[in-house]
Amino acid sequence: MDLSVLERLKWLQQQQMVSPEFLQILGSDGREELKRVESYLGNNTDELQSFRHFPEFGPDYDTIDGCISRTSSFQMKTVKNSEDNRAIALQNKRKPEGKTEKREKKKIKAEDETESSMKGKSNMSNTETSSEIQKPDYIHVRARRGEATDRHSLAERARREKISKKMKCLQDIVPGCNKVTGKAGMLDEIINYVQSLQQQVEFLSMKLSVLNPELEFHINELSTKQFQDYFTDLPEAVSKQSMMADLRSFPSHQQGSLDYSVINSNQSTSLGAKDQTSSSWETHSQCLYNNLRTDPVSNLFSLK
Amino acid sequence: MERQIINKKKRVFSVEPNKSHSAAFTRKYISHLVPALKKLNMNKNSSQITQQTVKHEVDMALALSAQEFAWSRFLLQKLSSSKNPTTTTNSSSKGTQVLERPDKEGGDEEGEIEEKLRELQKLLPGGEEMNVEEMLSEIGDYIKCLELQTIALKSIVQDTT
Repeated sequence: MDLSVLERLKWLQQQQMVSPEFLQILGSDGREELKRVESYLGNNTDELQSFRHFPEFGPDYDTIDGCISRTSSFQMKTVKNSEDNRAIALQNKRKPEGKTEKREKKKIKAEDETESSMKGKSNMSNTETSSEIQKPDYIHVRARRGEATDRHSLAERARREKISKKMKCLQDIVPGCNKVTGKAGMLDEIINYVQSLQQQVEFLSMKLSVLNPELEFHINELSTKQFQDYFTDLPEAVSKQSMMADLRSFPSHQQGSLDYSVINSNQSTSLGAKDQTSSSWETHSQCLYNNLRTDPVSNLFSLK
Repeated sequence: MERQIINKKKRVFSVEPNKSHSAAFTRKYISHLVPALKKLNMNKNSSQITQQTVKHEVDMALALSAQEFAWSRFLLQKLSSSKNPTTTTNSSSKGTQVLERPDKEGGDEEGEIEEKLRELQKLLPGGEEMNVEEMLSEIGDYIKCLELQTIALKSIVQDTT
């Protein structure tokens, strides 16, 4: 790895001869600085893995996204010419360890990014010795291994982590998400699920509109449902009579006498997957409200 | 036997009836929807009860029962502004959320994900005006409320048949 870096430096040196502007930028100390870099490289090998790739000539600096820079300070400026970037690259190397980490995917672009960030500094002082001491208005952050340090990417990383946390919560809520991996698949599942739920609601409301005239007769029975939520685990042998007797003692939302016909809904809900255990309600097919007590429900409201 | 009944009586009340959010939601939902439907029934005794109005009531009940969520506000807005059975103001026509432009390298995958997030935003009422994180948490709540709503509606329909 050392060798490759040194090779590249030599390549740079050769290039330097080609482009005199480069020298201008570095000042007359250009050569010496390069030598300094080499000696520096001799000492610190690990940290400079990332500098394997050198900036390319040409306008590669359009994608400023991904802001990975070697420094904790960051200035977004458009890069003018490639020579500047080379100067910046060299100045980057002069940074002592800690700030330079193993690079991730977008190596070359990140390098460009680095240069653009360093460009501001190079403008201020071309000859930089101990670049550990930076301008006071920048925030110095120790980066973790393999991660960038500037506040933009930090903020972005925090944001990304928040988003992935929420995706995990959603995974619990939406059935069938566990089998799919990756954000895209999960998002697909979620979208399908929401759409299917909305369609169900539409369909049911259509049914309801058809049945509406008959609704009035049975509305009173519905009140019983409201109270099922209050029921905790009941013993097996709950009889209809006892239930009705209990219900009568409840405060009711609706006036008038309540007709306590037991709900004999044998429907399977769309959430049939969430079967509850050992509840007598299921024998009476009140799996409706058992589903309400599943664990993911509590997760729901703690999402925020 | 009577002992059993007494025991059951004791157990019937949940200790903290308001603790279970879903129960609270369902309770509220039904208490909103059923009287509304009754009213509908009484007011329009003829066959004027279109599917639109019922859907409207259904959505209204949903929005009213879930007022702690942001999306319910948007839903209420939408419903109140579109009382007439014209097309509701789909916020897809509004300026879409500016999401991060993907990198060129991982471009395709990122773009896909962004697209899907945008689709999800369209599904959620008011989703397009939220940022991504907020939208994701709201979606979770919205899904739960939709599920509870379907349960409630199913039970209502079942009972009337």
